[in-house]
Amino acid sequence: MEPLILNGAPAIHWAIAGAGIAAVTLTLLYLANRRLGISTGFEDACSLVLAAPYFRRDAVIGARGWRLPLLAGLVLGGFVSAIGSGGWAPTWHLGMFDTTIGWGPMGKVVWMFVGGLFIGFGTRLAGGCTSGHGIFGLSNLELPSLISTLSFMGAGLVTTNLVYRVIF
Amino acid sequence: MTAVYLLLGLLFGYILSRSGAADYNFIQGMFLLTNFQLYGIIGAAVAITAPGLWLLKRYGRTISGAPIQIELKPLHRGNLYGGILFGVGWSITGMCPGPILVNIGEGKVYALAALAGALVGAALFGVSYPSLAGVFRLPPLARGTGDG
Repeated sequence: MEPLILNGAPAIHWAIAGAGIAAVTLTLLYLANRRLGISTGFEDACSLVLAAPYFRRDAVIGARGWRLPLLAGLVLGGFVSAIGSGGWAPTWHLGMFDTTIGWGPMGKVVWMFVGGLFIGFGTRLAGGCTSGHGIFGLSNLELPSLISTLSFMGAGLVTTNLVYRVIF
Repeated sequence: MTAVYLLLGLLFGYILSRSGAADYNFIQGMFLLTNFQLYGIIGAAVAITAPGLWLLKRYGRTISGAPIQIELKPLHRGNLYGGILFGVGWSITGMCPGPILVNIGEGKVYALAALAGALVGAALFGVSYPSLAGVFRLPPLARGTGDG
């Protein structure tokens, strides 16, 4: 198994990671009656500054109190992970993007911003992301989640193969 | 409760960070079919969550004694087309929504640009919901496309 970009650390076993994610998902439901989902957090953040009717929905405003702390926890988790695996430092390292495509910081910012647009618009149109559809929805045997998971896995497969096996 | 959410997020973020789920190379390897770590992670997570959910719904209550309430996601054309757009974005950035935040915490500077893009994307979606709702036959605005 190749090391992580983060400090060249070894990756933990997939079964342990999967069990841990399942534990977080079930704990969130057991303790707080919440279904796991991250992408709606983007709407919660938007609702802090935007007044469009879509961002004034109860589902958005009412969820800020739990989803925004959860999202802050994710940032903290990355920070703790960096400290624990060799130290935290700002970095532009991007693995095989550097060795194959090789754009500098400005190129990466544009690349990431454009990709982010697809993520923000796409997840909200789909009604969920890898966590809400892929983990929770699939586990709960929901048809919309199966459709979304198959479509984002398929689109990712096509895009990465285009980028790394055709274009670059 | 805020501390509980923060702590669960921290644990989730730590796992995503150390398992490769927030790693650009691992995500590209998953889509190139050269690295199967992510299939293992998602597969294991679903294989354990599914029976756990079933048991909780069948026999369980929350810690406070309330019945388990899970709002199901609505079925609409956005499931397919939004999923496709998101897949393109996941491939481009090597991050899905959770890992964008994890990468920011790790110190990956470019992840801030991905977050900015995601917020603008979500804002564009929300603002244009009334016109998109017709095209993709989305649920009424009050219901939305599904939370999560």
